[in-house]
Amino acid sequence: MIGARSLVWPAALAVVAIPALASAADPPSPSTTASPPEAPQRARLRYTLEGIELRGNVRTAGRVVLRYVKFRAGDLLDVDDPELELTRYRLLGTGFFAQVDLSLRKGSRRGAAVLIIEVVERNTLVVQNLWAGVAADEDTAGNARPLSAFLGVQAAETNLAGTGITLGAGVALAADQFALRTSFVDPSFVGTGWSAAITVLYNDARDFFGNRDVLFEAPLIAQREVTDYAVVAYRRFGATIGTGHDLGVSSSFALDYHLEQIDATVPVAASHMRGLSREPVDFSIRPGRSVLSTVRGTLTYDTRDAPFLTARGTHAQASVTVGIPGTDYSFQKFEGTLRRWWRLPWRHVVRFDAYVGAIAGDAPFFEQFYVGDFTDLLPDRLLALAPDRRQPPNLLGTDIIEVRYGDFAAKIEGEYRIPLYTGRESVYGVDLFASAGIYSVATRREFTNPPTGYRGWSRLPVDVTGNLGLRLDTKLGGVTIAFSNVLGLVAARNGARK
Amino acid sequence: MTRRAALFALALAALTAPAVTVRAEPPKTPAALPTRNAVVALEGKQAVLSVPFRDVVDGEIEKKLSSGLPTVIVLRAWVFRDGGTEPVALTAKTCRVVYDLWDEVFRLQITQPGGLVDTVAVNIEGVLRQCAEARKLRLIERSQLDDNGRYFVAGLVEVNPISQETQDRIKRWVTRPNGSAAIGPGDSLFGSFVGLFVARIGDADRKLAFRTQVFAPPNPPPPEKKP
Repeated sequence: MIGARSLVWPAALAVVAIPALASAADPPSPSTTASPPEAPQRARLRYTLEGIELRGNVRTAGRVVLRYVKFRAGDLLDVDDPELELTRYRLLGTGFFAQVDLSLRKGSRRGAAVLIIEVVERNTLVVQNLWAGVAADEDTAGNARPLSAFLGVQAAETNLAGTGITLGAGVALAADQFALRTSFVDPSFVGTGWSAAITVLYNDARDFFGNRDVLFEAPLIAQREVTDYAVVAYRRFGATIGTGHDLGVSSSFALDYHLEQIDATVPVAASHMRGLSREPVDFSIRPGRSVLSTVRGTLTYDTRDAPFLTARGTHAQASVTVGIPGTDYSFQKFEGTLRRWWRLPWRHVVRFDAYVGAIAGDAPFFEQFYVGDFTDLLPDRLLALAPDRRQPPNLLGTDIIEVRYGDFAAKIEGEYRIPLYTGRESVYGVDLFASAGIYSVATRREFTNPPTGYRGWSRLPVDVTGNLGLRLDTKLGGVTIAFSNVLGLVAARNGARK
Repeated sequence: MTRRAALFALALAALTAPAVTVRAEPPKTPAALPTRNAVVALEGKQAVLSVPFRDVVDGEIEKKLSSGLPTVIVLRAWVFRDGGTEPVALTAKTCRVVYDLWDEVFRLQITQPGGLVDTVAVNIEGVLRQCAEARKLRLIERSQLDDNGRYFVAGLVEVNPISQETQDRIKRWVTRPNGSAAIGPGDSLFGSFVGLFVARIGDADRKLAFRTQVFAPPNPPPPEKKP
């Protein structure tokens, strides 16, 4: 601790040590453009901007670079204008360049200057997501079945032919199902501040319904022979067009329209034990061909200091999805997410998460809340495929075990992170993390007609979840090595579930 | 000055300082820093430090100095008791350099204890002489040093240091270029790769840390003996 006697020094120097401030607070100095400065001791300079010269952009079109530069020829350029530094980082933020340097050179007449923007281009073919894992299976009595692998990858060229347009593709493979995605994003559509995006999807998939003692009459012979679940085989083919706009440095708005055709093969009849009662299985999808048409609006507020190993900031999102009335699926889906990070004085990080979602109307099951997306002990969906057939672990012994897809969902979670390594080369950081949370996924029937056989608190479809592992921030992106799925597999090996 | 008054002065300085605050955390292991020779002398009642740190200006920084845009060189120096890890004093020097394209001089604004000076340099050598060296930089009042104590100075030199707030703002630009970079749940068994190539933003263009040799508090020259 600095002694009390010498505290006056740092106090006085707190201002001294802030170089930019002394000049920023100064009134504008006389320009050197027309005549020598009246006050030569002032270091603040202004020039008439004669032009902008680009160097090093071999693949990237000049108009794409200039899109991120607010200055134009004829402007009065103050060398202290923070916009100069922001321009540099805005160009780095495109992801097109490894290095961006700004400088000035003399113009053709006294007082004029040319802004030179020198860039070093980088590889813009990137891997956005990679999933690789093992999905466990169990029969409806909780006995283990053979494991099956799943794999998914999404990649994108973020500067297609130097135009600044992103072209992406994704594929996901799991047992007897696959999904394809292609996306096209123009971050500045026809030079405006609005983005434009098109995504095309194709899923040839199946999903698994029924809790226990499932009886069903499937139209496909194969399903009768090999499954203990009522299987819905379905194909989805459609597209999403959307636009987005930054409302400020920290907030943005997005609007999407989605249209797809669904071709589903649904068991002609199916029942299962829900609680102690035998009930028909609700598949939440129309048999045969149907059309899903939705509009989605999303507001995002994002002040995170880093996207992966976030140490402070807030990420909040609110969205509304409306299934267009008159089509096969008329529903409204509301979602709200709040995530907040704090860095503690001893450099550890605490995160708080809250999520709430609700659906009114008849949404297809893949638009509903999937229990595996809320518990860490089951794999998340990848490109809308749910490879894992198991029910949630049910650590609290509630009727959450009766739910796979729900109309309502909520989750509260906390995470504690301990930085283990910080670097500047290939690996930027390694953090050990532990998280714990409580979540709930419920259908409307949990409120109107709860499953029989549950009493008291066990009628609340809630469960706890947790995770432990390492988060690595690398040159290639963020990597999470989590142990929760291993624990999930162990749980599946235990035989009869709660 | 009482402790309460000192704390008040510190709080007042923090409050009156604009939002951009450069971190001033002392090094955690100052004794382990590379050593360079410095001169600590007495100037009036002040112990003053003279030490060069020209090596902070490499080819890249030299290019920045001549770019016509502002470059800031900041030296922060903490006085430690030999063997101690808590500083007993802090001093600083900042130098803001802008090359004037038309007058073809470097305009310098030097801030250090004692005041603010605006001056010019005609070449890089002049810039280095005035901005990449500490010359009789006030360290601490001599009376605050223990006559029997041994001290050393740990220095941190930064070129274009960035405040935490600006860093956060820049990171948002870099990591969320179009307001669309979503973070996936990342919970698959063997890990999930999320996001694009994310550049790390440093908190300065270049940094240099060093310590001085151990010194005894400087004493005034003995009075001349009358013949």
